[in-house]
Amino acid sequence: MAAHLSYGRVNLNVLREAVRRELREFLDKCAGSKAIVWDEYLTGPFGLIAQYSLLKEHEVEKMFTLKGNRLPAADVKNIIFFVRPRLELMDIIAENVLSEDRRGPTRDFHILFVPRRSLLCEQRLKDLGVLGSFIHREEYSLDLIPFDGDLLSMESEGAFKECYLEGDQTSLYHAAKGLMTLQALYGTIPQIFGKGECARQVANMMIRMKREFTGSQNSIFPVFDNLLLLDRNVDLLTPLATQLTYEGLIDEIYGIQNSYVKLPPEKFAPKKQGDGGKDLPTEAKKLQLNSAEELYAEIRDKNFNAVGSVLSKKAKIISAAFEERHNAKTVGEIKQFVSQLPHMQAARGSLANHTSIAELIKDVTTSEDFFDKLTVEQEFMSGIDTDKVNNYIEDCIAQKHSLIKVLRLVCLQSVCNSGLKQKVLDYYKREILQTYGYEHILTLHNLEKAGLLKPQTGGRNNYPTIRKTLRLWMDDVNEQGFCSLIISQNPTDISYVYSGYAPLSVRLAQLLSRPGWRSIEEVLRILPGPHFEERQPLPTGLQKKRQPGENRVTLIFFLGGVTFAEIAALRFLSQLEDGGTEYVIATTKLMNGTSWIEALMEKPF
Amino acid sequence: MDCYTANWNPLGDSAFYRKYELYSMDWDLKEELRDCLVAAAPYGGPIGLQSAPSCWTVLCQDRVAHILLAVGPDLYLLDHAACSAVTPPGLAPGVSSFLQMAVSFTYRHLALFTDTGYIWMGTASLKEKLCEFNCNIRAPPKQMVWCSRPRSKERAVVVAWERRLMVVGDAPESIQFVLDEDSYLVPELDGVRIFSRSTHEFLHEVPAASEEIFKIASMAPGALLLEAQKEYEKESQKADEYLREIQELGQLTQAVQQCIEAAGHEHQPDMQKSLLRAASFGKCFLDRFPPDSFVHMCQDLRVLNAVRDYHIGIPLTYSQYKQLTIQVLLDRLVLRRLYPLAIQICEYLRLPEVQGVSRILAHWACYKVQQKDVSDEDVARAINQKLGDTPGVSYSDIAARAYGCGRTELAIKLLEYEPRSGEQVPLLLKMKRSKLALSKAIESGDTDLVFTVLLHLKNELNRGDFFMTLRNQPMALSLYRQFCKHQELETLKDLYNQDDNHQELGSFHIRASYAAEERIEGRVAALQTAADAFYKAKNEFAAKATEDQMRLLRLQRRLEDELGGQFLDLSLHDTVTTLILGGHNKRAEQLARDFRIPDKRLWWLKLTALADLEDWEELEKFSKSKKSPIGYLPFVEICMKQHNKYEAKKYASRVGPEQKVKALLLVGDVAQAADVAIEHRNEAELSLVLSHCTGATDGATADKIQRARAQAQKK
Repeated sequence: MAAHLSYGRVNLNVLREAVRRELREFLDKCAGSKAIVWDEYLTGPFGLIAQYSLLKEHEVEKMFTLKGNRLPAADVKNIIFFVRPRLELMDIIAENVLSEDRRGPTRDFHILFVPRRSLLCEQRLKDLGVLGSFIHREEYSLDLIPFDGDLLSMESEGAFKECYLEGDQTSLYHAAKGLMTLQALYGTIPQIFGKGECARQVANMMIRMKREFTGSQNSIFPVFDNLLLLDRNVDLLTPLATQLTYEGLIDEIYGIQNSYVKLPPEKFAPKKQGDGGKDLPTEAKKLQLNSAEELYAEIRDKNFNAVGSVLSKKAKIISAAFEERHNAKTVGEIKQFVSQLPHMQAARGSLANHTSIAELIKDVTTSEDFFDKLTVEQEFMSGIDTDKVNNYIEDCIAQKHSLIKVLRLVCLQSVCNSGLKQKVLDYYKREILQTYGYEHILTLHNLEKAGLLKPQTGGRNNYPTIRKTLRLWMDDVNEQGFCSLIISQNPTDISYVYSGYAPLSVRLAQLLSRPGWRSIEEVLRILPGPHFEERQPLPTGLQKKRQPGENRVTLIFFLGGVTFAEIAALRFLSQLEDGGTEYVIATTKLMNGTSWIEALMEKPF
Repeated sequence: MDCYTANWNPLGDSAFYRKYELYSMDWDLKEELRDCLVAAAPYGGPIGLQSAPSCWTVLCQDRVAHILLAVGPDLYLLDHAACSAVTPPGLAPGVSSFLQMAVSFTYRHLALFTDTGYIWMGTASLKEKLCEFNCNIRAPPKQMVWCSRPRSKERAVVVAWERRLMVVGDAPESIQFVLDEDSYLVPELDGVRIFSRSTHEFLHEVPAASEEIFKIASMAPGALLLEAQKEYEKESQKADEYLREIQELGQLTQAVQQCIEAAGHEHQPDMQKSLLRAASFGKCFLDRFPPDSFVHMCQDLRVLNAVRDYHIGIPLTYSQYKQLTIQVLLDRLVLRRLYPLAIQICEYLRLPEVQGVSRILAHWACYKVQQKDVSDEDVARAINQKLGDTPGVSYSDIAARAYGCGRTELAIKLLEYEPRSGEQVPLLLKMKRSKLALSKAIESGDTDLVFTVLLHLKNELNRGDFFMTLRNQPMALSLYRQFCKHQELETLKDLYNQDDNHQELGSFHIRASYAAEERIEGRVAALQTAADAFYKAKNEFAAKATEDQMRLLRLQRRLEDELGGQFLDLSLHDTVTTLILGGHNKRAEQLARDFRIPDKRLWWLKLTALADLEDWEELEKFSKSKKSPIGYLPFVEICMKQHNKYEAKKYASRVGPEQKVKALLLVGDVAQAADVAIEHRNEAELSLVLSHCTGATDGATADKIQRARAQAQKK
């Protein structure tokens, strides 16, 4: 059981259990001892579904990483390849199988495609003469993986690039399939809203697939009231800005991978007196971050400015709780104290960890450069000087700051100005090519193709209209880069997650729920791609009669990725007392500006 | 040898056949060959003779089939490997041959009829005798079959002669019937069917429930309930008496159950009805009697009565029906093309559409497509009208059937109705409608399916046609491009060429310049091609940049030759830095000028490089060469980064007023910073300085600031 998945309005453990069952069923099909050969990319996501113990229960004795040449020796009856359906992986598998020692004990080969079987890959295996070697060739439709009580991700790294650059809709197809699986478990979603070209495609596929499956009438009472499909390219701005929530900053600075973060170990060294700081651990400290940890659940979505006070409050409560022991006089009292100890110790450990993390982050956020960068970002987002070459960016290039940082800023400026003047754009590009190397011309092309970097066409800047209509910039929130303490502790608007900027994507969701998109038709027309609404009729018996005061549940699917700050903003909306809507978030990939730009970069050597 | 070809016989014009003797066989055969079973193996194998068995049957034990064979007085058991003689236990003596044998429906029991008119009944394993009977008829029976009922302990065998039918079992007496006509026995699960030219009958052991109820003077609860109900209909008070009697014994539930069960075993609807009425009547006096059994029995009987109707003629008993399952019954109706009845049954039983109505409609449609005299349009329309969007109907199965009958056009029309593209595509490919398959695959959004069709098309069409097809399908084209990017780079280039996509061609050659070429000339040539393509794409910027890159590459090559060291593939910026670090300032200047590096960046670059070298003298000279376009704060910062406070202070004094406080704080001169801030009367600067005041050392300064603040507030 993963308890934190069942806290939310929608019990995502149902999904987790369903995919676990499917995995067990497959493993049991291959009777006897097994070794799994992993496509390395899959191990992270699989960790969220099934720990090694589950595999072990089903006689998995060895695990290898997929690589060329001969398979490592393993005295097992079955070798199972867990792979994504990619041609290059098929070539490696074929190499493995062909170099299998014929004199050794014969082993059965199986292949499990994640998330979908592919005729193309099987054809390749056939061409390589090994298709017949596999006894079971199956697919494991692990599309949406539950990350938290309200969060699902496909963890498909290339999704944005494939969809918006390469015209490859494979991940949209998987997304549609994943949504069908969700509907099979949680009921048909009666209303679908969407904005963007990809959203339209996914909705079309869903409607089509529903027709294909008409035979199996879904008789589950619908859990979700709405589905909102959003293209990432409707809101290219948000991920480019630096996230300022606690979780967002951890991700910006250290990168969260499959809910784990690796941190520099120094701050986590056990503090022993007289130890003089020797034997510092050298291996990065790996921590799992999800709402199973009480404290983390409380602070993850807060503006970083508000985290410190929560931590110190907690520290006081915990030490007070430990002091209680002096008051415990009777045996009964002592017993009660002791029974609470494990919980208290866990809380103390968690507090210590987060205090260390907060210190690490504070080192970064209090640096002058961070402040300067934030100032520039906020100027851009509030529409100041977006149409000329920015000094800070120039200086960053001149000092050869990380290219990704520079690209994030230039793209941000371009997006906040609906494209840059040709002269400004060419200047930036030239500076970047001269400083970082001409090979980056390919990366620049990619960014242009994705619309992140573009010349302004028609000489019109639409961003101010969008900003004003959607109230993307809240001036009163802003103070010294971060929000003022009062607002960051008691935010009244989603703009607290970026200390002033309200993420466009989330604002669209908010306006959809109240008062509806009709009020912003004009802006919707400016944003790329069509907006639409579809209804999926329900049998009369399944139509919901909402109790007064009962919130609607909206599943919001970000096609092309979502940031932790956006998630925080949606959680904020869910918790609003008179919000009326609770959100469950799904995405192709959990990402931030850095990982996003990185995926779009192309290094020819 | 008179004429060698004498035994040659012509067959047609060109072939002859002949036959000659191998041996003269002078056997001492007692029987004629026709009385024997003959076995001979090829390759000159031996010949085996066995006098023909008088009778034989197939036994089945533990999933292995055996043959039981009677030859004269002996019984043999054969399996795939061996033959062994067996003797049934307790077989009466004097048998000289077996005339008939019969295996029960369940393969558990075996009966043997001997020439002495004796019947042995036992287990099929031949290990146990159940009973025996002597009928004293020596004439070989026409047929002998078991008559038993599931879960009954009674065992009986029915033996038929020309005009006589005898039921024998573990009893001294037998039952005898006279047969008026030639009859034939069909063993069933729960009895024996007997049919002749004019009749069709069923012989079986009366089921327990029926026996209990209808046995004369039975006092079983079911019997009393039936009686009670009859009296009730007559409006007699006896109904109450019977009912009380049952209730006093607490057997009402049992009574109802008995009546329901007995109804199932009745063939006549009238009798079924009266039993069900009795059950219904009894139910009224029960508080909690689950209604399922009653309801299901009513439904089942309705179905059974429908198929028992002589128009349909499937005389199933209730037990047979339950064993057979409704699915199989439906299949049989479908195979006999009794579609309407099958659909009515499905609808009546409310079977899920996928298992029920849809399946039958699909079968009907498969039959329909075979009607060759109807036009394609009419068939397709008729099928769609009936099937519509009925869930679970596989139009592709129907289409496959149509294709199988050679009606390709009809198949395509039918496929139009198929909602699952995954199903449409393979059949379309099989029918060589690849282009149609392609658009169907694209519609589905399943990229794997699209790829499959694409690779199929690629083999089927010539290159030109293939490319043309792609051109009309942008999604397929971009997928194929992705495929080529990883698998067939050359084709990718051709694709871009065909589309005049010069921008992508340019990028393609840029990539190629890194991937394929080692030599500098080759790389430059590839870049030149790229630049040309960019020009064609009207992307002047990219073209110029690429030309710059070529220039830089050549230059780097020259630098490596002249100065040694590593220059290739450094960025322009890094090349200049490397030159400065190597002390080649002149060359650096020249390069910066050639490539028009903006002044500001060049200053940063030099500043960073000189600080890295810790060449403070040169740095100072540089700072004084002209007014710094980046101000002097960076100089302070970079010196402090190298921990050179002395040098830093030199520049701090030159920093402009706006950044002065910052600079002074950087070099640690808090007091002066305070003075400047106070002079500026800048609140932000004041608090910045204040935050740098540490404890004792800057106490005085802090006080000074506070005072200045207080003063400012007074004003």
